[in-house]
Amino acid sequence: MVDIVIAGYARSAFHFAHKGALAKIRPDDLVAQVIKGLVHKTGIEGGALEAVFMGCAFPEGEQGLNVARLAVFLADLPQSVGGATVNHFCGSSMQAIHMAAGAISMGAGSAYICAGIESMSRVPMMGFNPLLNPALAHDFPPAFISMGETAENVADKYGVTRKDQDSFSLESHQKAALAQGAGKLRDEIISIEDEIGAVIDHDGCIRGGSTLEGLGGLAPAFKEEGSVTAGSSSPLTDGASAVIVCTADFAKEQELTVLAKIRSIAVAGCAPEIMGIGPVAATKKALSRAGITIKDLDVIELNEAFASQALACISDLDIDTNKINLDGGAIALGHPLGATGARITGKAAQLLKREGGNFALATQCIGGGQGIATVLEAAE
Amino acid sequence: MRSIKKVAVIGAGVMGAGIAAQVANAGVEVLLFDRPQTEGDDRSAIARGAVASLLKSNPAALMSKKNAELVLPMNTEDDLDKLGTCDWIIEAIIEDVGIKQGLYRQLDEHRKKGSIISSNTSTLRRRDLVEGMPSDFCKDFLISHFFNPPRYMRLLELVGGDETPDDLMAVVEGFCDKQLGKGVVRCKDTPGFIANRIGIFWLQCAVVEAIDQGISIEVADALIGRPFGIPKTGVFALLDMVGLDLMPHVLGSMAEYLDADDPFHEIYREPVFIKEMIADGYTGRKGKGGFYRLKPDSPEKVKEAVDLKTGNYHKASRPPVAIVKKAGRKNPRKVLDDNSPEGRYAWSVMSKTLSYAASLVPTVTEDIGAIDQAMCLGYNWKYGPFELLDQIGAPWFIQKLSSTGQKVPEFLTKAGSEGFYRLKQGQREYLSSIGQYRPIETRSGVLKLEDVKARSKPVAKNPSASLWDIGDGVLCLEFHSKMNSLNLWTLGLMGKAIRIIEEGDFKALVVYNDGSNFSVGANIGLMAFAAKIWAFPFIDYMVRRGQDTYKALKFAPFPVVSAPSGLALGGACELLLHSDAVQAHAETYTGLVEVGVGIIPGWGGCKELLCRWALAKDGPKGPMPPVSKTFEIIGLAQVAKSAKEAREMKILRPSDGISMNRDRLLADAKAKALELAKDYKSPEPVEITLPGKSGRVALDLAVAGFRKSGKATPHDVVVSAALSEVLSGGDTDMTRKVSEDALLTLERKAFHSLCRHPDTILRVNHMLKTGKPLRN
Repeated sequence: MVDIVIAGYARSAFHFAHKGALAKIRPDDLVAQVIKGLVHKTGIEGGALEAVFMGCAFPEGEQGLNVARLAVFLADLPQSVGGATVNHFCGSSMQAIHMAAGAISMGAGSAYICAGIESMSRVPMMGFNPLLNPALAHDFPPAFISMGETAENVADKYGVTRKDQDSFSLESHQKAALAQGAGKLRDEIISIEDEIGAVIDHDGCIRGGSTLEGLGGLAPAFKEEGSVTAGSSSPLTDGASAVIVCTADFAKEQELTVLAKIRSIAVAGCAPEIMGIGPVAATKKALSRAGITIKDLDVIELNEAFASQALACISDLDIDTNKINLDGGAIALGHPLGATGARITGKAAQLLKREGGNFALATQCIGGGQGIATVLEAAE
Repeated sequence: MRSIKKVAVIGAGVMGAGIAAQVANAGVEVLLFDRPQTEGDDRSAIARGAVASLLKSNPAALMSKKNAELVLPMNTEDDLDKLGTCDWIIEAIIEDVGIKQGLYRQLDEHRKKGSIISSNTSTLRRRDLVEGMPSDFCKDFLISHFFNPPRYMRLLELVGGDETPDDLMAVVEGFCDKQLGKGVVRCKDTPGFIANRIGIFWLQCAVVEAIDQGISIEVADALIGRPFGIPKTGVFALLDMVGLDLMPHVLGSMAEYLDADDPFHEIYREPVFIKEMIADGYTGRKGKGGFYRLKPDSPEKVKEAVDLKTGNYHKASRPPVAIVKKAGRKNPRKVLDDNSPEGRYAWSVMSKTLSYAASLVPTVTEDIGAIDQAMCLGYNWKYGPFELLDQIGAPWFIQKLSSTGQKVPEFLTKAGSEGFYRLKQGQREYLSSIGQYRPIETRSGVLKLEDVKARSKPVAKNPSASLWDIGDGVLCLEFHSKMNSLNLWTLGLMGKAIRIIEEGDFKALVVYNDGSNFSVGANIGLMAFAAKIWAFPFIDYMVRRGQDTYKALKFAPFPVVSAPSGLALGGACELLLHSDAVQAHAETYTGLVEVGVGIIPGWGGCKELLCRWALAKDGPKGPMPPVSKTFEIIGLAQVAKSAKEAREMKILRPSDGISMNRDRLLADAKAKALELAKDYKSPEPVEITLPGKSGRVALDLAVAGFRKSGKATPHDVVVSAALSEVLSGGDTDMTRKVSEDALLTLERKAFHSLCRHPDTILRVNHMLKTGKPLRN
């Protein structure tokens, strides 16, 4: 079987939706700048690409009309490059990577750019026209359960305390602030120009000065007597990301730096009301397909949609927390839904190369009750 | 011909930034300067910080947050060359002649020839500010004295010099009047001009007399408040708002500049304990507290008042002052004529103050109207000194002055039994400085309903509303029920107005009143009473009657223009939505607030606002965005804090007008009505696409989330469900169109069930009792 690798990773800085530096930038422009930056940084020949697969959780408005194809034009890629938009909610751009890997395995091309985009400023959660199936809402309410409520359910079911959630969130901010301070995030961020020409190249959501007292003082956000707060949830975020998925041979030909090899992939469903536990089943499947165990992993990117679900997954999978989200997770960096999958997969690959080791995992939960996982192996 | 299209304000302190905000509120670009920041990259950080503070200010300095984009932060070292593009430069820096003149020389180098330059000084004289300055500068220089906060205080005192050209004064006056909405009072170059000359005297008098006569601050505020039409802050609470530390400067300036024989000197002193309060940081609301404070370190809000004898704080009480109760309103003589210690205190303060005001005619101004206007607009007095003297009775006042051995100002003696203002043959007249009555002239572009009422009889009238002929074929509907609430009488007169206009010579209807609030909406007291006696069919009838009346107004064969100012809530907001056009005062506060009392807008408000959003071309497409937006606005009982915000909420249309000056509102509305009356055609009913059940589920799920998080109460869920049913179009489907009548039917159905719900009745009764919404 052909070796499929991650041979490039980039993202925009992530900023708070509505009040952040990216709020006034159209999402199609934003992701096009990231793709363009990735092409420029890696030196990949645009014409050699089969297609751009683009993850987006709410692909409408300015990120609608098959934004992947529009991004091809905006990023000045040749018209021969295809473009398809993928919606798998929070797992959208990891799904794009999986689809590219699958297509390459089928012999459908050698290289794809798998990107993700979400402007939560400019396209609201649920989209502009949420029109739910009334019968399903009546017969099976969890189908449309709010994400915050699932976080509370997971906290209850898995006994995750408020204190543990706050500590985990604090640690995420501290790790991200440390990484930012040490310049460890610099390489992955493509500078974005806003409408007046100002350059945005620093993440805007990280709060290095967070304290346990501050986090402890926040009111529950989703349930009156609950434990999940705005501080222990990932914020509404604007951002874009992209990775190059290609064959090892292609990478060699194009002299791309291979970050990691894709070893296995998986998706799994779970009860929608505890969707945050989705990564457990998906990870187990992916590990089994890779023929390794959780102990074999050296680097883990576990998306922090909420501290409660991240902690429940850590506990259930028996993960060594020293290997998790080394440069901070979504609670600190932000979670632009469609862009997160490519970020954590690209990041896991980058960290595996930076930190050394054999295997890495990128996994995340998905609304509606699902998990998605990718196991990476160090490049030879 | 000079005109003002761009303004600069130098000094980004509270006043400077506030003035800049009001200029921006007028839609005019303004450069806001302060000194440069020496640290960091942003040299204009001080002015930029002031703009950030404007955005957070409460009460809001800006009528819309978007207006902040018109205020451009600058610094006085790098950016003075940009003054060359400005037509008016307003200086609002420290009150120091030397520093100001130094700045003026810099400004003079960079300003364009003929640009207007003015100072916002409150204590300095124009003649000192221009002394030694170039003659061109002097010609272009004025004092423009705004009051704090500049958005809300309507007074602007304007002081020119002998060399000031008439056209310059006229341009500034016109701009301030029409675009900034100010009541402009031209003043002579005398200390404190008019408002502060009297206001500071009054405040100082009230303080020293309270100390001397052993009157507590709570009693003093109760006495020198409501009986005289003065805000309930009275004296001491007002000083807390102004800032105690400001007073020594202002008093000192008055003492320095006023003539030696001015009565001010008799009351001028700085009580030691007030000096100590200021030194200890008790400077009023901005400091640790003032004459009043909230008890420190107390878990509950406990208001404390200072004891003027000991300087110690005690729990503030609301004293039952018998004579205040006895006097009620518009009868100040009863307070002044009372021989109790409280009555003697009130007499000592108000007799001196009113005499002082009279003594300023003619040296400070020949125009008693200017004095009354200055105190009403600058100090929020309901009646000016001469209007108060008319209520008191000048002969009685003079007699009492004489009997208590007080000096009677000469001008006072000129007022006979007819007083200072009189009505003669339908014309309002005032007493001139030489003792002759002169007609009160109305400025061009100003139409006062009180003048119409003084000279004519109503076309129709009932206990809650009247119809007036305001000329040129325009009928004016005036509400005058309690708080201008809407009831069957008001609805009845709307119906009558339609018949009169259809059958007679009128061609348009303007809905307007002189009240500080257009209308608080439908009379919910009536609904509470009906619910109490189980007369629910009557409530259903009220809803139907309101819908029918508003619909008849909307589709009447003549234009209807509503002209709100102040509150226009609930049913009144629905009236605006049904009008062909709205001419709103900039300070209009409107919204559909029905959910606060457990109901939804039932007079077509849901329908109208929904249609506005559905037919708008500036939003996202699809059936849900208008529904979501309307649901948010009505479901959260959002109230626009200005006409501009009302436009952003689509309660006002882009074509609706905004009058910055309250005095011009009726004339502007009438002009709009006449314009619309030319070739008028009634609007056609509209149909819109709505999502039906699929959309309702989404809204209900969102509310369920709010309930779980504690943001929504149990009855919020009930009311929201009724609202989502209406706004989603009931059982419709997005392949069908929904008519206005169908939406009205849905409104009635929702109202029918909500008004019978016991939790709604609890909300209504709670609102009537406390004035606040019940969160049940």
